[in-house]
Amino acid sequence: MENLLAWIIGLGTLFVLLSLIIYMLLALVLIVPTWRICARAGFSGALSLFLLVPLIGPFIVMAVLAFSTWPAGEAPSGRR
Amino acid sequence: MGAEIAALMGLFGLGSAFALVGLVLGAWMAWRIVEKAGLPGWTGLVAILLTVTGIGSIVPLILLWVFAFMRWPRDDQASATASGAASPASGGPAPSSPPRALAPPPMKLADRRGWQLAGGAVSLTFDGSLPAYLLTGAPAAQAGDLSVPDPSVGQPHARLLIAGSRLGLEDLGSPGGTFIDGARLLPEHGPRDISAARAIRVGSVELALSRA
Repeated sequence: MENLLAWIIGLGTLFVLLSLIIYMLLALVLIVPTWRICARAGFSGALSLFLLVPLIGPFIVMAVLAFSTWPAGEAPSGRR
Repeated sequence: MGAEIAALMGLFGLGSAFALVGLVLGAWMAWRIVEKAGLPGWTGLVAILLTVTGIGSIVPLILLWVFAFMRWPRDDQASATASGAASPASGGPAPSSPPRALAPPPMKLADRRGWQLAGGAVSLTFDGSLPAYLLTGAPAAQAGDLSVPDPSVGQPHARLLIAGSRLGLEDLGSPGGTFIDGARLLPEHGPRDISAARAIRVGSVELALSRA
């Protein structure tokens, strides 16, 4: 019985770890371009780390980029 | 059983409502972000709306990478502004009005530096303490004599005239000749402004003119 419990805990831990790794890899696929976008807009690239926050993270990053003035300059409104 | 199904349906409906709000919000923000980069806003909107199509999320992901590494029209406008005139300090949108030249300084300071003629073994330095100097091949006998010990240099050979920050040169008819940047200066030319000249030749002696 104890042996079975140890197996369950071990497999569960492995599953959580694998899920975490897959989540981190998927997040990296999003973080790398977002980091560059933030840097080109004049913000710190670390702003893209908000993507690690589940559900609302992408909205935070997008809101900062969409509703604040870009320190590196924006396209003039006449050309938009 | 019916209650459970109703609860599940309610949860699904709530989730759909949140998803719809998130989608609209995301599309709006994407519109604004691509506009700030100088692209048409609808491209951001389409990129977000693609997530609800059968294509899935891989296309918006690819578009995100493309957007991150592509050349933004904003950069072209910024470089065009920078090439026209000095670009403004970072921060704030690019100016829509054409760049203007800076106003000239209110008062020009007098250039009180002296002059130097140097070449070969000769190095002559003089300033505006005297109104005129004589270039001569003989040893300097007076305060205004500048000696260029060479047989091709006349005694005297030419006259240097100083007026403020300007320097003039007048040939005195020596057979060796006087040249300003390669052009012959004749006695009948009178004094010529050589403030902007770089090389003076007296006889066969080449002298570089500079500020001391």
